Amino acid sequence: MHRRTFLRIAPAIALLANCGKSPGKIRLALNWKPDPQFGGFYAAPYQAHGLDVEILPGGAGTPTIQMVGAGSAEFGVVSADELVVARSQGNDVVALFAVFQNNPQGIMVHASRKLASLADLFKVPGTVALQRGLPYARLLEKKYGFEKVKIVPSPGGDISAFLADKNFAQQCFIMSEPLTAKHQGADVQVFPVSDAGYNPYTTVLTTSGEFLRNDPDHAKAIAAAVREGWRAYLDDPKPTNQRMKQLNPSMAPAVFAEVAEAQTPFIETDETRRNGLGSMTKERWEALIAQLKDLGDLKTAPAPEDCYRAL
Amino acid sequence: MKRLRSIIPALIPLLVVTAAAELAVRYGSVKSYLVPAPSSVLRAMIESRAELFGALLTTSVSALVGFLLSTVAGIAIAVFLSSSRAIQRAFYPYAVFFQTVPIIAIAPLLVIWFGYGTRTVVASAFVVSIFPVIANTLSGILSTEPALRDLFRLYGASTLVTLFKLRFPAALPQILTGLRVASGLAVIGAIVGEFIGGQGLGSVVDVARTQQRVDKVFAAVLLASVLGLALFGLINLVSNVTLRRWHASEQ
Amino acid sequence: MQLQGVRKTFDQLVVIAGMDLEIAAGEFIAILGPSGCGKSTLLRMIARLAEPTAGSIAIQPEEQFQTSFVFQDAHLLPWRTVLDNAALPLELMGVAREARYATARTALQQVSLHEAEDRYPAQLSGGMRMRASLARALVTQPRLLLLDEPFAALDEITRFRLDTQLRELWQTRRITVVFVTHSISEAAFLANRAVVLTKRHGAIKLDRRLNLPIERTDDLRMDPRLAGEMKVLLSAMEEE
Repeated sequence: MHRRTFLRIAPAIALLANCGKSPGKIRLALNWKPDPQFGGFYAAPYQAHGLDVEILPGGAGTPTIQMVGAGSAEFGVVSADELVVARSQGNDVVALFAVFQNNPQGIMVHASRKLASLADLFKVPGTVALQRGLPYARLLEKKYGFEKVKIVPSPGGDISAFLADKNFAQQCFIMSEPLTAKHQGADVQVFPVSDAGYNPYTTVLTTSGEFLRNDPDHAKAIAAAVREGWRAYLDDPKPTNQRMKQLNPSMAPAVFAEVAEAQTPFIETDETRRNGLGSMTKERWEALIAQLKDLGDLKTAPAPEDCYRAL
Repeated sequence: MKRLRSIIPALIPLLVVTAAAELAVRYGSVKSYLVPAPSSVLRAMIESRAELFGALLTTSVSALVGFLLSTVAGIAIAVFLSSSRAIQRAFYPYAVFFQTVPIIAIAPLLVIWFGYGTRTVVASAFVVSIFPVIANTLSGILSTEPALRDLFRLYGASTLVTLFKLRFPAALPQILTGLRVASGLAVIGAIVGEFIGGQGLGSVVDVARTQQRVDKVFAAVLLASVLGLALFGLINLVSNVTLRRWHASEQ
Repeated sequence: MQLQGVRKTFDQLVVIAGMDLEIAAGEFIAILGPSGCGKSTLLRMIARLAEPTAGSIAIQPEEQFQTSFVFQDAHLLPWRTVLDNAALPLELMGVAREARYATARTALQQVSLHEAEDRYPAQLSGGMRMRASLARALVTQPRLLLLDEPFAALDEITRFRLDTQLRELWQTRRITVVFVTHSISEAAFLANRAVVLTKRHGAIKLDRRLNLPIERTDDLRMDPRLAGEMKVLLSAMEEE
């Protein structure tokens, strides 16, 4: 009892003992509205680690990686491919914790179309809504070709166009939009983008190289708090879901619980059971860098070991 | 020659800012992934010139069509509103709706009604730019001097004749003011429509943004500004030609 | 023209409380009064631009387009040339182009403005604009000419010249002129008959036939007879 309590407080004491300066308020910028994909961030015991963290919810197009680079947020949630591209442009951002070990991006279609695979989707006429500039989209274009389909911009989380048209396919997070669509009566089928071989870490906690250099202890504390938060959220998402529901009324309450459950296999894998939640490997980063280089997105390829730090 | 000389004062701040930005990004603390150096914007423009100028053409057509539609419809609506106090009170608040509705919110609705493509973009440009036309035209028509209206009445002119021979020409300066404002808004509306509808400069900006190509984003935005300027200049030209001989604003 | 029991109220404000006035054809009558006494309102009612609240205004014989109005401001249409402005009444009446331009030119000649026919109002002086306005009033060959303080905004020399020109026009065309003014000297110089209205309720205080020669030349301005008439008018306007 004593020991556990001591261990829990130890980081805080170390922090207080160590610093003369506290970092003040630490801002964590999310790249979407509060929903289960950020559950662990909201559940994290920042105060117990002596941290004052403000979570900034985002939305469509929130430039989290630029915010970290510019210093308007100390931490941000990005996806790994964004980070690699940013590093190649001189933005010194470093990944600390990968929530989704496997890429939850996917394309959802109406099951009535009886499509067998992602490849099939691009062989028949129809509309596919995706963010064309994203690396995964360009990888799909390279692999399957977009000549037969009509490509339109992704409507974000809005599924009204999808519901209205049977031949409409839309980019999504596998455990999110499809569940919302099912609740609205649609018969949905989802093809993971990872089927095409594209599998970057997603919903990755990132900070600037500068923060790591100046404040290594606080960075470590944040990583630890986040890890604990995700453990707590995986064990019991209900209280955190309550909090997030109030911040994001656009997602139906019933869907919240389902999504939290459906996303678990993306977060907790054999790898994380061995090495801890959020852990990353050099090989995964290497593979991603190679893919992006092949797509022509990188001026100079960053070194994989520069992209992440295990804290 | 005089025309050229009058442009120079406007060019000087532009040159100074461009030079300062270039230096700040190259040698100073401004990070190139946040603010691109003007030289890299230029390079992006040259590299992607086919794509950019194709997009510029697409956006120009949509913005222009949307603008022309809002000119015609706006003036017609204003004429209708000017016919009576009761009609104004009944319908003007709905015209104000066009001004206040955030286009970002209704753009997805436009896609549902008009589909992905030019029609949505034109609709977006129309919605965003029509209100200033209505407001300024109505104001111009209603502020015709009472004495002149009396004059027309004295000689038995019908309402329609008074509208076309008196109120319209008298309102022309204000109508043109409304058109000046509407022209810029039409470009903005078109770009927003293109974010959702997926073509033209709006699409270039959206895609380049997700690719983290800030230089290309700036290049596209620059071209959009040029388009806005061109439309504005066109209105000024029309204003000059029609008002030249009789209105104080062009003396 | 006969005004009988003419009364005009705006909401609760009684501007004119029952006026009886008879104007014979060919008279040059000046209506004097302080500001706000209702003289402009009276003129507009005569022009049928406003309706009396009670009473009647009878004009014999009744004919269409026989009345012309000259405002205090020239009120030319700025986007039309002087010629087009002068021809405007005829245009509104449906007269063909050549015919109305011919008539307009004649009218412009009468006010000595024929050389400026292609100019725009913005290019004219105040006096020239007022002359154009006069020409416009004359193109319809009106039998009744109503003027509402037309020269008040002009400088004195121009005013004197236009006074003379107006008087000449009256003599040559034999029209009935009702001239509203607050200038006693102008009223005395121009009119054969002067009517002074009270400040409140626009009642007729004085209705006087002026004792002055028919020919009004500039010399008359220095003539003691003019001063005498002015004195009478002045005292009528003063007592209130």
